[in-house]
Amino acid sequence: MTTVTTRPQEERKTKFQVWRSRHGWTAGVWLLLIVLVAWYAALLPKFGAFQINSILKNSLPLVFLAIGQGVVVIAGGIDLGVGSMMVLANSVAALLMEGQPFAMTLLIGVGIILGLAAMNAVVGWIVSVSGVPDIVVTLATLFIYGGLALLILPGPGGGTSEGMRWMFTGSTSGVGTNFWPPMIVLLLVTVGVAWFMRRTRPGLSLYASGSDLNAAYLSGVNTKKSKVLSYAISGGLAGMAGLAVLALTNVGDPRFALAGQKTLESVAAIVLGGIALTGGVGSIVGVVAAGIIVFFLDLLLVAIGLDSNTSQVVQGVLIVVVMMVAGLLEVRRRRLE
Amino acid sequence: METLPPLVQVEYVAKSFGPVVALRSADLSVMPGEIHALLGANGAGKSTLVKILSGVHPKDGGTLQVNGKTVTPGKPSDAMDVGLATVFQDPALIPDLTIDQNLRLTKVDKSLVLEWLANMELTIDFDSLVRDLPLETLRMLDLARALAHDPQLLLLDEITAALSADQAEKVFDVMEKWKERGRSVLFITHRLAEVLRICNTATILRDGVTSAVLSPREGGEKELLEAMLGAEATAEYSGTQRDIVADAPVMLEAQDLHSRGRVNGASFQLRAGEILGIAALEGQGQERLFDLLSGDRAPESGEILVDGSPLKARSPYDAIARGVVLVPSDRVLALLPQRPVRENLTVPLYNEAGHWFSLNSTETERVTGAIDRLDIDTRAQAQVRRLSGGNQQKVVLGRWLASGFNTLLCFDPTRGIDIQTKRQIYDLLRELADQGNAILLYTSELQEIPLVCDRVLVLYNGQFVHEQDAATATEEALLTASHGLAESK
Repeated sequence: MTTVTTRPQEERKTKFQVWRSRHGWTAGVWLLLIVLVAWYAALLPKFGAFQINSILKNSLPLVFLAIGQGVVVIAGGIDLGVGSMMVLANSVAALLMEGQPFAMTLLIGVGIILGLAAMNAVVGWIVSVSGVPDIVVTLATLFIYGGLALLILPGPGGGTSEGMRWMFTGSTSGVGTNFWPPMIVLLLVTVGVAWFMRRTRPGLSLYASGSDLNAAYLSGVNTKKSKVLSYAISGGLAGMAGLAVLALTNVGDPRFALAGQKTLESVAAIVLGGIALTGGVGSIVGVVAAGIIVFFLDLLLVAIGLDSNTSQVVQGVLIVVVMMVAGLLEVRRRRLE
Repeated sequence: METLPPLVQVEYVAKSFGPVVALRSADLSVMPGEIHALLGANGAGKSTLVKILSGVHPKDGGTLQVNGKTVTPGKPSDAMDVGLATVFQDPALIPDLTIDQNLRLTKVDKSLVLEWLANMELTIDFDSLVRDLPLETLRMLDLARALAHDPQLLLLDEITAALSADQAEKVFDVMEKWKERGRSVLFITHRLAEVLRICNTATILRDGVTSAVLSPREGGEKELLEAMLGAEATAEYSGTQRDIVADAPVMLEAQDLHSRGRVNGASFQLRAGEILGIAALEGQGQERLFDLLSGDRAPESGEILVDGSPLKARSPYDAIARGVVLVPSDRVLALLPQRPVRENLTVPLYNEAGHWFSLNSTETERVTGAIDRLDIDTRAQAQVRRLSGGNQQKVVLGRWLASGFNTLLCFDPTRGIDIQTKRQIYDLLRELADQGNAILLYTSELQEIPLVCDRVLVLYNGQFVHEQDAATATEEALLTASHGLAESK
């Protein structure tokens, strides 16, 4: 197809320019991840399946949270409750799964994911009908879900089946070199959500609502349904994150501090992943790389020899620098127009 | 035809937004196979009626029938289901999605959209992002998408306001074709010439009430105006043009301005007391020229002189400090929509030196003076976004009246504004010029130029190619020059 612009002096962009403007950020984040991993590999005496397994299984919980957060933010909201939902899922699962056979734990896991999706859908419904900003409602749910977790499991305890551990970590003991199971789980979720967001009508309606709520409404999109749907997805993914944490540690951990930290990390990951906090822009694929980076920086900085307190400072600086460079490039592009 | 039942029948429809009554009792009856105009001054309730018909707003009272059946569309898709498709005043396309994704979003038959686009001689890359496309193209896409729903009644809310003459022509063709198919169009516009040309019937709203149903070709423009504004307001408007004071000081001068291929060597002089018009087709660099003059962007080369000394603006703040202020066409860009009228008027004063505390009595007086002078309707003054477009534009103008300026840059200030408010704005511009201010006015409506301006420059491909006395500037002469056909000055 050809383009007839109404302004003759405007030049047509080349295919590469179009690709760069649409997917440049996503590609850049993945490139950054690869560079960081390569650096890490060079620092270690030996880099192999064990390290790959470790990076993958440990970043799974944050990646799930970030994907859910990304979906909500793309749809024009923000969900501060994701960290608490993860902790809640982790606590409930630890309590129910302890001593159960694999099939039973699988059933419980599905139940937890669906249950959280339903609970968070109600949160989305409250936001959409009440008109109270997302950040206010989900700040409240951060406390509510976090409190529920502590009510259900007052201290560390519980456990899960070996099968569940294998599914998210690649080994029944949680330590090993088989990186395929966590990688396949990660791929399935990423491809599934990315496909849903870009290729299906409900997914596109999430982009639409976040990009321009009024235009979406006027074109016949059910914007309330979109909001509910986005929150249901983030609830379900936070449930998966909770299961992944349990698989890693084999113990339920209801600490509220963890919930707050994971929520903030999920926001950091989507920002780094190229999702605009104003909604409507960004890709899930980029968020996955960014989620891994946010976790992985810790490992890398320890390998360099910095202590882990310094690594938090470096994480923050990295986010600011990346966003600043992106902002300055955008300013330059506008000036050249 | 007369024996057919009406396609859409609206009776006694009312709607209020808080204390503001938008519609008191609107009646409308659209027959199958007609192009029906819906007219009225700003704030008369046209857009509200359209939004009720298309399911955006629920009505407070009255009845709405389509094909004899009572309907109450609760959301836009309900209206589409009963055969009403609307092209709204603002584009209803999602900026961050591609065209293809936009179409997939709304269950519309893509081949039909393509067919209508081909009909309008437009080919668009469906993989391009909506935000990368010019507004004109988006309007045409909105239209094609509405047509692809195959509606009984097509509602067009000021679609031609954002279109150049040749694109508007294509829209008229489509409307005629639609009529030939026995379908109907409800056409909302401020351009009466368009109504006289293509509409069979006109329903006129005044203050939320249907004041007349006319046949525009019989009564002509005068009858339409009378019904819209009342008899007293329709006296012939003679314009405000006057002689140029050739020896007045130059207030604003541009010397060979260049900017990234959009402005290619533009130069002009604007004198005190003068209203200088700029005429141009879409996309000739007028937006960029105003960006440069208002300090929004720095030119690549060339110089802007204010009162004879160079203006090196890093932001609009610098230009405003030198007394050069902008009235943009998109009022929303200039206003703080959630803030009250008074606060919007006083924004420029926030930066004046020695103003830690709120306004002193002189300034309050100036603000009140501006409200009175401009006759701003302050019924909904708690939030400026609730005002009608004309009143919003008055607030933008009033802001500079209250804070003071020397040179006013007006970029299409009357776009989408009713005739009465337009005339108020023309008179105000002349009065400001007579007080010794200089005014640069770009307008997309060429007939405004002889009415308002003293002198006119034609911009073509980023350069001024033609200059003439505005009093003698006919539409033909300006159009010829705008296409780059006239000889250089």
